[in-house]
Amino acid sequence: MRRTLLFLLGGLMLSGIIHLVIVLLVPMYASHDAWAEMGRFGADRKFHLLPLPEAGNDAIPGMDPRFVQAECRFSLAGGPLRVTAKMPDDFWSVAVFDRNGRNVYSLNDRATDGPQLDLAVLTSVQLAQIRQNPSATLENAITIDLPIDKGFVLLRAFVADASTLPGATAALTAADCSGTF
Amino acid sequence: MRLLIDLALAVVVAVAVGVSSAWYAIDRGHIFGAVVAGGWTAWPEEGGESPDPYELAMLTRTGEVPLGNGEGLRFVADRDASGAALSGRCTYQIAGQTPVARLWTLTATDEAGRLMVNVAHRAGFHSREILRRADGSFVITASPSASSGNWLPVAPVARIKFVLRLYDTPLTTGSQIASLIMPTIRAVGCP
Repeated sequence: MRRTLLFLLGGLMLSGIIHLVIVLLVPMYASHDAWAEMGRFGADRKFHLLPLPEAGNDAIPGMDPRFVQAECRFSLAGGPLRVTAKMPDDFWSVAVFDRNGRNVYSLNDRATDGPQLDLAVLTSVQLAQIRQNPSATLENAITIDLPIDKGFVLLRAFVADASTLPGATAALTAADCSGTF
Repeated sequence: MRLLIDLALAVVVAVAVGVSSAWYAIDRGHIFGAVVAGGWTAWPEEGGESPDPYELAMLTRTGEVPLGNGEGLRFVADRDASGAALSGRCTYQIAGQTPVARLWTLTATDEAGRLMVNVAHRAGFHSREILRRADGSFVITASPSASSGNWLPVAPVARIKFVLRLYDTPLTTGSQIASLIMPTIRAVGCP
């Protein structure tokens, strides 16, 4: 009897290890994570408008239906990423997520001077290389030095009512993330 | 023989408890890092660089894209002021003030966080379109049937949630959030 109890105790301890291993492995094996889902909208290094969230059609779960959004998936292995956009006058924000959908950087329209968004996403090695090249034009860009390889950028623009929807949609459609240095 | 039975028992217990507890923790996802303020729950770490492993597992499994800390903060309520679970068949009054933010939106969703079909084609309100009292406070009536004032239509399903998103808010730490004055959700009628 005591031996069985000891084995049960051992089983419980082992269950704790199994629990931890599963929790830590899920991000590696998840197939419907945000990064994978963003790939459905089209090619990388290009902004794609996400469909407006509505009942029965939440393309990406948990999005605010009062915002239009556009995503650009990227890999920094192909060089630094440059995001340029002329955003609407109303509230907007931009967020950078890593391969696991973790938010690694975000800002809203207060952080920029006017509606022009100019964002450079690069690794520290790429940043050092650009700094050595005097002809590079990084001065006006918000430079984000990230320890990541793959990820995606999400632009969100607030839509106050139906009349501002076309302007916000046009701004996000015209956003560009194909540029480099 | 005894040894084999004991060993098998230990392995079964380990796998059953380990897998089910991990599944429960990830499915619930939001059990750690939650900060409660006036019946609303926020997860300030979900939009940060270092969410805990459960949060990260939940994010990768559902494909949810959280609001970054520089964008805003999300609050979710699934119970009314008396502690009863929110039902789409009842009428609720969401009243009071919201914390400081440049903009906020309030959305009604089903239990899984999905938007609901409703006759008015309205999923929620934002801070600039809402009718307010003279002191700036507001009352939103969430109900499956039409109501005067700020009517937030919901589908008559068993469980619903309200999601309040504050945009461009200075709130980032849990201790700031816990002491916030949030709108109260009061049930005014359940058929």
